[in-house]
Amino acid sequence: MKYRRIERFHGLKRPRIRQTWNKYNLYNLQRARMPRIIQKTFFQQKWIAKALTRGYHGEHIKERQWERMFSRRLLSVVNMDPKYMARHDGSEQAAGRGSGLELPLQGRQRAEQGVRPVEVARNGGQRATKTPTPYMQMTYAPMERRLDVAVFRALFASSARQARQFVVHGAVKVNGKKMVYPGYLLNPGDLFQVNIERVMTATGRKKETGKKKMAAAKAASAGGEPAEAEEAEAKAAAEGGEEAAETTREPADEVDEETAKANEAAALKKLLSRAKFIVSSPNQDLSVKRKQAIRALIKDVKTAMARASSKKNSSLQKTGNVVDDLTTLLSQLELSPAEAKEKAEEAEAVAAKEKDEGLPTEEERALLKKAIEEELENPSDPTKPYATPWRPRPYMAPFAFIPRYLEVNQNICAAVYLRHPVARQGQAEVPTPFSPELSQLAFNWYLRRG
Amino acid sequence: MPPRIHSQPLLNCVEQTCLGRPSWQAAASQQCSQFSTTASRELNREQRRMWQWLRSEGRQYRNPKPGGGPNYLAGSTNKPFRHNETFRSQPVLSEEARNKIWSAVMEQGLPLKAVSAKYSVDMRRVAAVVRMKEIERSMQASGQPLARPYAKAVLNMLPQTHLVEGEPEHEPINEIHIHSYTMQQLFLPTPESRKFTRADAAKAFGDHILPAEKRIPLPELVGLEKDLVEGLSREEANRRFMHAAAASEQAIADREARKAREEEENKKRVDSARFEFRFENINAEAVGPNGRSRKGVGWRYGVPFHDRKRAEVKIPTKVE
Repeated sequence: MKYRRIERFHGLKRPRIRQTWNKYNLYNLQRARMPRIIQKTFFQQKWIAKALTRGYHGEHIKERQWERMFSRRLLSVVNMDPKYMARHDGSEQAAGRGSGLELPLQGRQRAEQGVRPVEVARNGGQRATKTPTPYMQMTYAPMERRLDVAVFRALFASSARQARQFVVHGAVKVNGKKMVYPGYLLNPGDLFQVNIERVMTATGRKKETGKKKMAAAKAASAGGEPAEAEEAEAKAAAEGGEEAAETTREPADEVDEETAKANEAAALKKLLSRAKFIVSSPNQDLSVKRKQAIRALIKDVKTAMARASSKKNSSLQKTGNVVDDLTTLLSQLELSPAEAKEKAEEAEAVAAKEKDEGLPTEEERALLKKAIEEELENPSDPTKPYATPWRPRPYMAPFAFIPRYLEVNQNICAAVYLRHPVARQGQAEVPTPFSPELSQLAFNWYLRRG
Repeated sequence: MPPRIHSQPLLNCVEQTCLGRPSWQAAASQQCSQFSTTASRELNREQRRMWQWLRSEGRQYRNPKPGGGPNYLAGSTNKPFRHNETFRSQPVLSEEARNKIWSAVMEQGLPLKAVSAKYSVDMRRVAAVVRMKEIERSMQASGQPLARPYAKAVLNMLPQTHLVEGEPEHEPINEIHIHSYTMQQLFLPTPESRKFTRADAAKAFGDHILPAEKRIPLPELVGLEKDLVEGLSREEANRRFMHAAAASEQAIADREARKAREEEENKKRVDSARFEFRFENINAEAVGPNGRSRKGVGWRYGVPFHDRKRAEVKIPTKVE
């Protein structure tokens, strides 16, 4: 379709600011200058302003459609102070000759400024600020009512066009019902909800595929970092440990409890070293090493738990929750029923003993628990269409803001359109990257007068 | 398209392209060059500049700030757009703040107006928070996955309000729309001795214009302040305020219930085996004096009726 063309969408020669989180857009946004319009005629000025602003505000919408949506009535609000309203009925503002009384000359400064009692009550003796209400920045307010734009503003899609696609493809519900029209105008109080998987795909990092993946793996294997060497060692040790455990498990009846316990302690130690590595490495840098470590950790946890459940331990019951299971397991490893009586008698000596035995301390257990919880919440899952564990896509932060007319719950990827965007003194709620002068020219264009 | 052979020697070309490109691109083009005779296109000046910016100054924007918090252009804390000083990225409610609001409404059973006044959060926002929290809880209960990593990451990039002591208030809660009737200057001669109050001013602008006292979302707060001015104790004034807030909410609920009941009374339901037929009483006078009112039902002579026209866009105007 002609009107939804995207040639030179993020052009660098003739840059346009768009509703996307693209890095080209970020570059264009940071170098954007006010166009030179002094020399131009009024018509040309309006034309330029219209072209620039429409390139951002709903460029995927036909001009005719927007012209029908445009409204010259710009909404604004003023905050009323209940304290002031309780003390004054408004007659003080009409006192005297109709615009409030001047204060009797007390301080020199006050006399100079000519502060009225109204202003004294409201601003504690300061002169009322003369910040204007930026009405002109509200030119494109009707656009913010559209469902696709609202989905983009709620940070559920990385561009307005993507948001539009979500709606068209049936991934958006309004008040619990599927809504396939991106041009649906939200009413105050409408709740819209986007498919969580779509949001995670749109806002997450891209999955590494093909060449890049191979290159990353190659780079990882080539770079001989000490941490990696340690990791490899730990892995080898863990494998060795597992093998050892298996060999000991076969003649389970003969092996005394002491040996079994020592094995478990060794396995736990490895688990802990893995967990430490995972927790310590920064989230942004998801290296191959970290991925490997996570996988190994899961595997180890599983084997440790299998071992614990194979042990004749009636008190350990699987809850189905890995974290809970593991913590129960850890507490039981620390305190076997036979040992429990002993430990109750001399608690302090036990702490020292624990240390000698290499059993996990309280902090270490917490660490392990944290690592596992993190992994459960944000798992590495190759079946997902985005890179896992999920991370925000690059260059998202400079575009991350949520206007006040929306209330968003990110956990369920839902938002409520509370009210129409409004202007206040010194503040306009329509997110627009353009200066008030440019917006005013655009507003004048759509007024179609003069 | 047939493979294009560049006039320059291939190796030279690869070297040149490597200079102005990020490392992964250079690596990729080198890999390609073994199989393809098509030289990759050189970066033009603008592209070179962009990559240069992305690698130097723009690098800080690639990932969210390690310590959390907004990361807008030019190091601004609340202005994402440099040229627009009037738009600010205002704080959103944090996870704990939402839990606090939900618990105040659902567990303590406070009226919405009281919660709104307590935390200085707009009444509509309070309602929205509770509504979405309920959905979240039901999803959790039914074992549906939540977007926890996404929520964490996004909230980490935004300024937040935690609704704790000593924080600036979240948002103004007693805002009224500026009515278009009140936007023009009005000269009304009155005697200087007359006490010209807000109510008088409203009347001067139009008979149907209400004074500010009646238009604010929380008129009960004015009552609270008046009680305090009159010398009532803080506890007593608060008690009265809570009572008034609960009463006004009850009144709204009653009104809604009555409306629903009346609508239901106006309807006649006939349940057949397959369908439920609903018959509504229609007032023929609803077409208005000239017969063209939008409230009128059905086809009328001389009034365009677009329902069945071809290519007519029928986007719903509301979803209930």
